[in-house]
Amino acid sequence: MKALLTVLALAVFSVSLSAQQVDSLRLKDAHTVTEKQMNKGFVSSGLGALSGQSAGVTITSGANRAAMLSAVRVRGTTSLTGGNDPLVIIDGVTSDLSTLGTLYPGDIESFTILKDASETAQYGSRGASGVIQVVTKKGQGGQFRISYDGTAGFESVCKNLDMLSAAGFREWNRSMGYRFMDLGYDSDMPASILRTGSVQNHHIAFSGGTDDAHYRASIGLQDHNTVVRTNAYRNYSAKLDIGQKAFGGRVEVDLGIFGSLQSAAELHDMQHLFYSSAAFNPTFPTGANADGSYSQIPSASQINHPVSLLEKSYNTENAHFNTHVRTLLRLTDRLALTAFGSYSVNFVDLSHFFPTIVWSHGEAYRESVKTKDILGNVSLDYKWTRDRHDLSLTALAEAQRTTTDGFHVTSTDFSTNVFGQAALQSGATLPWEGAGSSWTDPRMVSFLGGATYGFAGKYSLSVNARADASSKFGSRHRWGFFPSASVSWNAIKEPFFRDIAWLDNLKFNAGYGYSGNQDALGPYNSMQLVMPDGIAYYEGAPLTVYNIVRNANPDLRWEVRTTANVGMEAAFARNRIVFTAEFYSSRTRDMLYLYDVSVPPFAFDKLMANLGKMSNRGLEFGLGLTPVETRDAQLNLNFNLSFQQSRLVSLSGWYNDTYIEAPSMSPISTLNGAGFHGGYNDVVYQIVGEPLGVFYLPHCTGLVPKGDGTYGYGIADLDGDGEINVSDGHDRYIAGQATPKAMLGSNISFRYRHFDISCQVNGAFGHKIYNGTSLTYMNMASLPFYNVLSEAPQRKISDQEVTDYWLEKGDYLNIDYVTVGWNLPLFASLVRNIRLSLSVNNLATLTAYSGLTPMINSFVVNGTLGLDDKISFPVYRTYTMAVSIQF
Amino acid sequence: MMRKAICIPAALLLLVSCNSFLEEHPRDQKTEGEVVTDAKNLYLATLGNLYSLFGGAEDSQGIQGTYRGLYDFNTFTTDEALIPTRGGDWYDGGFWQRLYLHTWEAGDSYLNATWNYLYKVIVMANRSLQTVAEAGKSGMIGSEEEASLTAEIRAVRAYFYYYLLDMFGRVPIVDRLDANMNSLTQSSRSEVFNFVRNELLESLPSLSPQKSNVRGEYYGRMTRPVALFLLAKLSLNASVWLDDDWTDGKGAMAPFSLTVFGETFTDPMDAVITLCKELSSYQYVLEENYQTNFDVYNEGSRENILTIPMDKQTLRTQNQNIFRSRHYDHAAAVGGCGENGSSATLEAIRSYPEGDLRLNINYWTGAATDLSGAQVYLSTGEPLVYQPLSVALDLTGSPDEKIAGARMKKYVPDPNAAKDGKLMDNDIVIFRYADVLLMAAEAKVRKGMDGRAEINAVRTRAGIAPLENVTLDDILAERLREFAWEGLRRQDLIRFGAFTRPYSFRPALPDEENGFTTVFPIPSNALTLNPNLTQNYGYEDE
Repeated sequence: MKALLTVLALAVFSVSLSAQQVDSLRLKDAHTVTEKQMNKGFVSSGLGALSGQSAGVTITSGANRAAMLSAVRVRGTTSLTGGNDPLVIIDGVTSDLSTLGTLYPGDIESFTILKDASETAQYGSRGASGVIQVVTKKGQGGQFRISYDGTAGFESVCKNLDMLSAAGFREWNRSMGYRFMDLGYDSDMPASILRTGSVQNHHIAFSGGTDDAHYRASIGLQDHNTVVRTNAYRNYSAKLDIGQKAFGGRVEVDLGIFGSLQSAAELHDMQHLFYSSAAFNPTFPTGANADGSYSQIPSASQINHPVSLLEKSYNTENAHFNTHVRTLLRLTDRLALTAFGSYSVNFVDLSHFFPTIVWSHGEAYRESVKTKDILGNVSLDYKWTRDRHDLSLTALAEAQRTTTDGFHVTSTDFSTNVFGQAALQSGATLPWEGAGSSWTDPRMVSFLGGATYGFAGKYSLSVNARADASSKFGSRHRWGFFPSASVSWNAIKEPFFRDIAWLDNLKFNAGYGYSGNQDALGPYNSMQLVMPDGIAYYEGAPLTVYNIVRNANPDLRWEVRTTANVGMEAAFARNRIVFTAEFYSSRTRDMLYLYDVSVPPFAFDKLMANLGKMSNRGLEFGLGLTPVETRDAQLNLNFNLSFQQSRLVSLSGWYNDTYIEAPSMSPISTLNGAGFHGGYNDVVYQIVGEPLGVFYLPHCTGLVPKGDGTYGYGIADLDGDGEINVSDGHDRYIAGQATPKAMLGSNISFRYRHFDISCQVNGAFGHKIYNGTSLTYMNMASLPFYNVLSEAPQRKISDQEVTDYWLEKGDYLNIDYVTVGWNLPLFASLVRNIRLSLSVNNLATLTAYSGLTPMINSFVVNGTLGLDDKISFPVYRTYTMAVSIQF
Repeated sequence: MMRKAICIPAALLLLVSCNSFLEEHPRDQKTEGEVVTDAKNLYLATLGNLYSLFGGAEDSQGIQGTYRGLYDFNTFTTDEALIPTRGGDWYDGGFWQRLYLHTWEAGDSYLNATWNYLYKVIVMANRSLQTVAEAGKSGMIGSEEEASLTAEIRAVRAYFYYYLLDMFGRVPIVDRLDANMNSLTQSSRSEVFNFVRNELLESLPSLSPQKSNVRGEYYGRMTRPVALFLLAKLSLNASVWLDDDWTDGKGAMAPFSLTVFGETFTDPMDAVITLCKELSSYQYVLEENYQTNFDVYNEGSRENILTIPMDKQTLRTQNQNIFRSRHYDHAAAVGGCGENGSSATLEAIRSYPEGDLRLNINYWTGAATDLSGAQVYLSTGEPLVYQPLSVALDLTGSPDEKIAGARMKKYVPDPNAAKDGKLMDNDIVIFRYADVLLMAAEAKVRKGMDGRAEINAVRTRAGIAPLENVTLDDILAERLREFAWEGLRRQDLIRFGAFTRPYSFRPALPDEENGFTTVFPIPSNALTLNPNLTQNYGYEDE
């Protein structure tokens, strides 16, 4: 189902809600949801505008609550290797999530989310994990317009970890008879790295044109200083779009240019920073000593003085440029030829400097990566209509090439910190492994043929056949063939429904299709190659040796996903109630994954191969209500609720006459920190037959006195063999899943005359969170070198064994924002409209979870899945004021 | 018709151009054929690569110098060393305690990683043999050069099988690159023993007679004396490694036979004596000063036989053993970092008699000093004085939690060490001549002969009185002092039947006297991935 979310940007929202526009606010039908659903709270990127707006689309906030780019999922994770990021198409140009992140929200006209195989067919394998089509604003003929949007505000921490104060720290160390360091200060270490953050966004757009030509130009600035003292982001973007019609409309040319420059001062090793700020001795001063150094505690080896860690610089600069041209030739009234070409270049500069006061000998690093992407396609579209028959045919050929070229250099042994990464040569040593370069150049070719037949506007059938080829596969397996088909029945057009007064829309659809995935696969996996890897002596002199890179797999081929979906949409009561429902089920086979293989005969213990299977299914509901609708007032309520369940079906199969059976369970995420290295600290696993990402833990029978006045975690002998063995396959059980079973997004907006208020509430349910933060900070045995929670002395736990004691329910409801807006009555003809608004983001969270926040990574399969382990940002709110003026 | 005539070639042209467009042309990675164009690059792609894998920088990689690998499974499982839990530090999910208590499990991921490391080098060696054979066929190298490269690669491979034999006992023998997994079944321990013996013996004639530990063409390589040393070790441990059923309590061993220097030995101790005598002819001597072997620039040592070359400027190879032992404040005082972990056992410290010079070369046993010899102070302001005798397996809550235990000192501190002290110039000592002497002494004592000269040479250098009468216990005790923390202890204890006895903080396990812990379990991951493999005795229910 094509859920077209006309997600209007801030600038457009500021358009005064005139009578017609009020009309457009109402949900007309679910196929084209014309509710202006764009997030109206403070939004710092194009991606943020989409959060919580569409069923089945998950946008996870990163630990710092800026949109975490890798965390966008359309209908969850369907591949283990990756390639789970949806494809982003901006004005027809293949793009990615990070570029979408740099797009100014005010430049976006709409998002369209394509989820089903038949919908994504036109994008082939690249769209296998869903497609986010972004349409940006273009100028309109006839009028010259200028608009300005500005937002300014601040961020402040509203909740942080409650560690022992200096007084409590002294008291409890003394009472336990520890020798501890007391420098006499009374410091709030968790607060020592924080500040009041600030945000500001500015955006100006010009547009205009004639009947045959239009243009739009815009520039934007986004500036964000987060609540952690050195953490800041800045983004400049500029965009120009020109369109021209010629020869009586037979030729149309569109040209677009987009450029952005992003710079970020990131935090290096956030876990280390937040671990340090929580656990560092509070009797130490928060500032530096007179000589610029910080008082450190070497015995607290896993942490440092938190403020000293802020002296590390860790920067990213990203310069992006894209241009595209589309030429449309109407060869006849029925036949059109479109030629499209785009060129994107992306420069990423990463650099860091760790001064000698926090890093022995210091370390400077520079990395530069240049990515060039060229894409061209030609398509022929034929449309034919007679009586009640509609037929359209499409043929498309496409080629794409992405060249990535990068290098990095590291230097160390610094005698001074004044040069930093600006002079790598101020470090005396450039170690061999500290420099390197890489070059990849994957290519793709695709051919597509499609046909859609419609009858009487009631029935439609669409069939697509697509052949994709990727250079990443073995030469015999490059091509994949992926057909898909869908049908729809516009039931409301049937006479027996048309006459039902209260029914305004009723439509059913179903689809089935195949899609291929190769996105996350690196190049060269099918080839046995060697590369420089280390040094050995040859005739007494050190020279570079060559090592094979990996277990090559010449049989590598496409991962295939089959998706079936059925859906319906309905509207009642003059479109005041709109309801949509969709069920989907997909199976992934020939799953690309780094499988465990036997050493010997393999040299390495992993092989990229197509063996396993995965399944994924879900239900998505949307409900739009307009209970109040008068000239002066309107109330809109929108809810989307999705249920999603994935299952890892198998990780085994045949490879070269050998049955490979990868271990049925392997850890995904693991605790970290003092005393957690190695051993049985794995928490989240992937287990064959289970949802992707389950907690597999020993069961805690309760707190057990240890005999010295403290308590430990009692562990159940689950396998009943008379002894406690917490290794995999013994005294452990599956204790829940890390990914939510259900997700809710809801938006409530109310307008009265010139005032409006809107609120977004998102939620996730049915999953659990491992509270590793409390496991660590509740352990009284970490005194005297690591501080503990102020609650710890009462609990008297002196243990850090991983059990399900700290596994908690993760359900939450979060009020993402509340915005109050005022559209000023017009006072001058020059100004077409002015809007003022106030927003509070991240207003409140309803949850039973005892940790800082339940909004951790519960979606992306990586080393942090389901784990709250000393890495969460303190909870903060953003307060902003926005003004929008149109001339 | 005309249209067809155009369309078909056009379609063909399109497909052909598609296929060439889809061809990968790597630049930063190349096929072996593109790189191996002459004898030098052939060496670097084969033996050079194998030698670069002797050392490591990551967990479980390398023969010695990293964490949780070969060295740790042979050291922290013994009465020589332990990593105590120190409050919030070093519990690490019980890993170190399990090593010390012999309660390791087949599912241990580091045991699996160690297995994978050893076999990775073996598979690379098989690959190297194939590459060298192809280079010989193509005429890139002469037949003599081919023979010597082949011999050296086979000796490297035998060396890694030697560790598999020692640790896992029954392992699959893979000696060709195209081995199919379905054919990989375990050989008995004695078969593995004989494979290692044959490979070493057949390589011997073509190996260079040069020393390996000195800079020059053969620096860090498998030369003839190294192979002879391995043959001596093999013979010395024959009674253990030729016992295919080591838990049956019968101690029966498969027949031993070794033919070297034109002589066939059926008593392994005779072979040891002869091999050790032969090694003496390579001009190895006991260095006057024990510490010379562990100097920053110990390439000059006349005693070391095999070392892992270390060079902080050019090599990645790390030695993390001192880094993880010394106290945080101690490390900071010498300009590095430390992890305040590994400590000597009570047995190790108590084994040194009064006046033994090795004690304070091997260990920090009291006041910690910096490079200038000045006392190191704790952050709390008190002087840092290690407490060797208050060590325990779990020190949590002890007043000496962070300072209990003698620490590793062995290698002379490199004042310019990099990477927190992990990159230093001291080559890591794997084998040395003192072991040749003690092996000879042991073989003689086992045969009822006089081993005094050899053991007393070692004792005299250490500043302790020579023995009048040498027993096997004397030799085991001498080895504990002499080879402290050199990665040999587990093998020694097993050979002397002492591995399974209880010692400080380690009660013997139930059933342990049958000897099942003298061999590690086959990693459960390896069993899952290769259904042909079966578990070792005593671990079947894992």
